[in-house]
Amino acid sequence: MKYDVLVIGGGIAGIEASLTLGDAGFEVLLVEKDPSIGGHMIQLSKVFPTTDCAGCITTPKMAAAASHPKVHLMTYSEVKEVQKTGKEFRVKVLKKPRYVEEDLCIGCGRCEEVCPVLVPREFDYGIVGRKAVYIPFEMAVPKKAVLDLEHCMMCGRCERACPKDAINFLQEPEEVEITVKAIIVATGYNLFPPEKKKEYSYTGNLTLIHTNLNPNIIHSMQMERLLAPSRPYHALLRPGDGKVPERVAWVLCTGSRDKSLGNPLCSRVCCMYSVKQALLYTSAIPFGEAAIYYMDIRAFGKGFEEFYTMVRDLGVYFIRGKVARIESRNGNPVVIVEDTETGEIREDEYDMVVLSIGLLSNPELSEILGIDTNSYGFYVPPEENANPVATKVDGIFVAGTATCPKDIPDTVAEAAAAAAQCIAYLKEVGT
Amino acid sequence: MAEEQAKKELTVKKLRDRGVKPREEVIEMAKEQRKIIKQISECLKAGPKTIPEIASEINMPVGIVAWYVLTMFKYGQVEPGEEIDGYYKYKLVAKGGGK
Repeated sequence: MKYDVLVIGGGIAGIEASLTLGDAGFEVLLVEKDPSIGGHMIQLSKVFPTTDCAGCITTPKMAAAASHPKVHLMTYSEVKEVQKTGKEFRVKVLKKPRYVEEDLCIGCGRCEEVCPVLVPREFDYGIVGRKAVYIPFEMAVPKKAVLDLEHCMMCGRCERACPKDAINFLQEPEEVEITVKAIIVATGYNLFPPEKKKEYSYTGNLTLIHTNLNPNIIHSMQMERLLAPSRPYHALLRPGDGKVPERVAWVLCTGSRDKSLGNPLCSRVCCMYSVKQALLYTSAIPFGEAAIYYMDIRAFGKGFEEFYTMVRDLGVYFIRGKVARIESRNGNPVVIVEDTETGEIREDEYDMVVLSIGLLSNPELSEILGIDTNSYGFYVPPEENANPVATKVDGIFVAGTATCPKDIPDTVAEAAAAAAQCIAYLKEVGT
Repeated sequence: MAEEQAKKELTVKKLRDRGVKPREEVIEMAKEQRKIIKQISECLKAGPKTIPEIASEINMPVGIVAWYVLTMFKYGQVEPGEEIDGYYKYKLVAKGGGK
């Protein structure tokens, strides 16, 4: 199969780049490793500083990519090999088995209704369960079921229930070979695993709660899910016992600016997403008390400082100090910190604590693509200031958080820039 | 329709015939899950309860009960009622009334 461009990664950067290239008339193959496109952005509640609904921005773009005549989606697939021959790249893509025939599945969810096995739902970071066969999320594109054979009892209920005979346990992984003239790498970021910061007592798996860990210490992407209009619960509740949380704290720089954890970098978005979450929380729980523990607030973007000031003026507490540890008291998390403005050692009890986790690199494809990464694993353009979307390989471009942590507007702008550079390159090599 | 269904050989059976079996841990986990859901459902038959009330009645860690009750809500098996001191009372949804 031949395409003009391969876009790797179906998050907001990959979608934006694909749409720009498709609109310019190029044939694009968008490869996404997960069962649906949408990336991290589709999981978010609202975006800062405008508090626009994240899903309302992402969903139309996902639908546009799926229906674009020039954009071809290959989900649940991974790039395994890339070879440059002359002006072309030969790429091997592994299409993982869904055990569901995509062309037959109508996304009705009957299979999910009858499945007897529960598994922590990835889309909600485990705060609720899904079935072994499931629709990834309500707005998934494509909205097709996927069967997780690892957690399947092989009882066959899903197969019997499917009105379209779409379940196929005999599906095998399929290797697809494609030829493209250019590649855009939009593989995004990984989240800092908060269990690595042992002092903060994050539980990890909510279904296997350890006695000395507190399920009411969650991470910021779990909080995004709790705050999102598509949230898994019927109200804003803490996962540990279903209580409406009256006091919530955010602990900034969990896994960022922390040499002891191997990541001295600032993740650039945690300050503002935490400020946004505190605003959304106080809007949802009008008498709720919100506090943010910070080293310093980095409100550097357009409208960020005004947004931070507004939220502070609305009554959210900002306490300066690096949290030493989080303990438990009667099921409530207790934040232990030195307030560096007063010198006081504080022990503050909350209903729920949100760890504002940082963004790490996702360098998985660097060897396959033959492009450089820095010591933190982010892709490094040879001329970072002059041409931040180029790589050392002619015809391969990068966009979004694959090169460093950045916010959504910067990611989208960079995706458009990568697409523009790619179009110029395609014109140069001839299409 | 039922006859047609019976005639059709399921692909899961074909896979089993090839010697592929589910993992023992999955079968055990599913049994445990069924037991917990049954306990929660039985407990709620007596009337609406909060998650800590259910946990105390069935003698199970409240965090685990919360995960199951909120997952049961997601699948339309329970629904929230009144809120008392920050805790919702959950009740069973009548069969056929789920999502």
